[in-house]
Amino acid sequence: MTLNDRIFGVLMIVLAVAYGWGASQLPEPFGGSEGVGPDTFPLLLAVVLSLAGLYMVVQPDPDNAWPWSRTGIELIIAVVVLVLYAMLLQPLGFIFSTILVVGTLCWRMGSAPIRAFVTATIAGVVVFLLFGFALDLSLPLGVLSFMEVG
Amino acid sequence: METLGFLIDGFGVALAPENLIFGLMGAFLGTLIGALPGLGPSNGVAILIPLAFSLGLAPETALIMLTSVYAGAMYGGRISSILLNIPGDEPAMMTCLDGYPMAQKGKAAEALAISAVASFVGSLIATIGLILVAPVLADFALSFGPAEYFALFLVAFATLGGITGKNPMKMVVAACLGLMISTMGIDNTGVQRYTFGVLELYEGVDFILAIVGLFAISELLFFIEEKAGGGKQKMSVNKIDLSWSDIRHIMPSSIRGGILGFIAGVLPGAGASLGSFIGYTLEKKIVGKKGYFGQGDPRGVAAPEAGNNGASSGALVPMLTLGVPGSGTTAVLLALLISLNITPGPLMFTQNADIVWGVIAALLIGNFLLLILNIPMVGIFVKLLSVPPMFLLPIVTMIAFVGIYSISNTTFDLYFMVAFGVGGYILRKLEIPLVPIILGLLLGPEMEKNLRHAMDLSNGEWSILWNSGLAIGLWVFAGLGLILPYIVGPILRRRMKSEPSSVNEGD
Repeated sequence: MTLNDRIFGVLMIVLAVAYGWGASQLPEPFGGSEGVGPDTFPLLLAVVLSLAGLYMVVQPDPDNAWPWSRTGIELIIAVVVLVLYAMLLQPLGFIFSTILVVGTLCWRMGSAPIRAFVTATIAGVVVFLLFGFALDLSLPLGVLSFMEVG
Repeated sequence: METLGFLIDGFGVALAPENLIFGLMGAFLGTLIGALPGLGPSNGVAILIPLAFSLGLAPETALIMLTSVYAGAMYGGRISSILLNIPGDEPAMMTCLDGYPMAQKGKAAEALAISAVASFVGSLIATIGLILVAPVLADFALSFGPAEYFALFLVAFATLGGITGKNPMKMVVAACLGLMISTMGIDNTGVQRYTFGVLELYEGVDFILAIVGLFAISELLFFIEEKAGGGKQKMSVNKIDLSWSDIRHIMPSSIRGGILGFIAGVLPGAGASLGSFIGYTLEKKIVGKKGYFGQGDPRGVAAPEAGNNGASSGALVPMLTLGVPGSGTTAVLLALLISLNITPGPLMFTQNADIVWGVIAALLIGNFLLLILNIPMVGIFVKLLSVPPMFLLPIVTMIAFVGIYSISNTTFDLYFMVAFGVGGYILRKLEIPLVPIILGLLLGPEMEKNLRHAMDLSNGEWSILWNSGLAIGLWVFAGLGLILPYIVGPILRRRMKSEPSSVNEGD
């Protein structure tokens, strides 16, 4: 099967057209047109990318299998967990969000749950202290902010 | 001897206590990162950049630390090759051929010591080469005009895949994607491009978070998919029993490997993999029937190790003198320079001479530090190899989050980083290389600026881009870089593949 590259190639052509169209809509810079305006370089890129995309459609490489089924779900879990990390970092604080996220990742990657969360706790606390005291950078305390001194 | 004076000044910079400490720390962390399977030099440097940045280190200190990480990771790569038969990265592949058999014979410690000495010799030769070649190349590059620079950037892209690269068109796609991302934000003329009205995008996409996302986060996703590693039988390490005559025995191989590696590193597109490959094959040819390559010949460990370390220092030559990186890791180092507001290229040798020569001196000192670190302390690194990746990778991910967060203190960048990670995973599945994307992000603004200058000089005449002999030469070189992989690539790849298998047949 050589479907992946073909689909990707088509996507790239679509992207190139959208990007090139976007460039053609850019306003002329103040002071009139020059040899190279803000749209020249993007238009060049759009042309090159659409040609390369076309090549991938015509001359695709063999496919790598996509991880459907269980592994695919694991991957989605991992991505969701990472997005949650970004969301929770400030409200929940670094230590708790790290315990949650690193623990879940270790666990889903095959560690026993208790070991996973113990590792995560140690990692979170150590990095927090290292950053706070040794490197003088503050990470968000979140729900622990009542502990803040001064 | 102008160079010598600069170098002495450089030592003054490198030997400042703070720089020495961060250099040592970098060397240690680098060796660790290199030793752990799954984390190569580019990953390691990428993850540590945000940290170096958020610490607010002086430019030369940050650069010294990260070049030490780079050198350390090249040293460390051999540890898992020898003990686990898993190359930490591609250049370490050839070290497995004789390193693992030596470990199987109970000579793991000797193999590790030999590879440390050979790495040292390779790096030393290449650093001396760098000192000799870089100023000359920088002088030459001063004669480049905007058109030549534009063509030079094309050479960088075209040769980045290397002659062993698989599908050059995928490299073109990747380069375009990177360059396209680099056009986001407000351009030189003050026009907003592709910001979609999002305030955070006005300054464009920060390439550090792109790098960390593409390398570190995609690595995590890849590991989840493969769930490999961890189950390998580890070799135990005996006491070192290495005499001076053993070292003398491998010295010629190391020197030859180092010189070949340096040349491979300087040439665009060749890189460390080729350095270690030709180092090994040439050695096998020279020694001939008298050797027992593939069954644990020490010279088969020394030559490729010297080769890949030589190549990694060699790759700094085009990066420092032309601002054009020759490998993934040097691309990441280039990102560091740009974010420190230092424009790499020939002018750096005059404008930031203290930084350039400080780094070169630090590289020399780093080699000695690494040799000292690596012979007696190898046991510590071996112990750390037993950390299972299922704990390691989540922690590395956490460090990536911390690093990115502490640069800007906003979570907006973190979403971007995760998005780059997912994108990186998909692209890697499609075998689209990630390094050109980063290079595109880095070089995009410079490339556009040079195009603009060239066109201004010629009043909009496109032919200026190929109007000088030098520019034409560069265009031809770029063209060759794209075409050669189709012709030479398959042959070379087949040979690199057949080398390990012929070993099993007792060749």
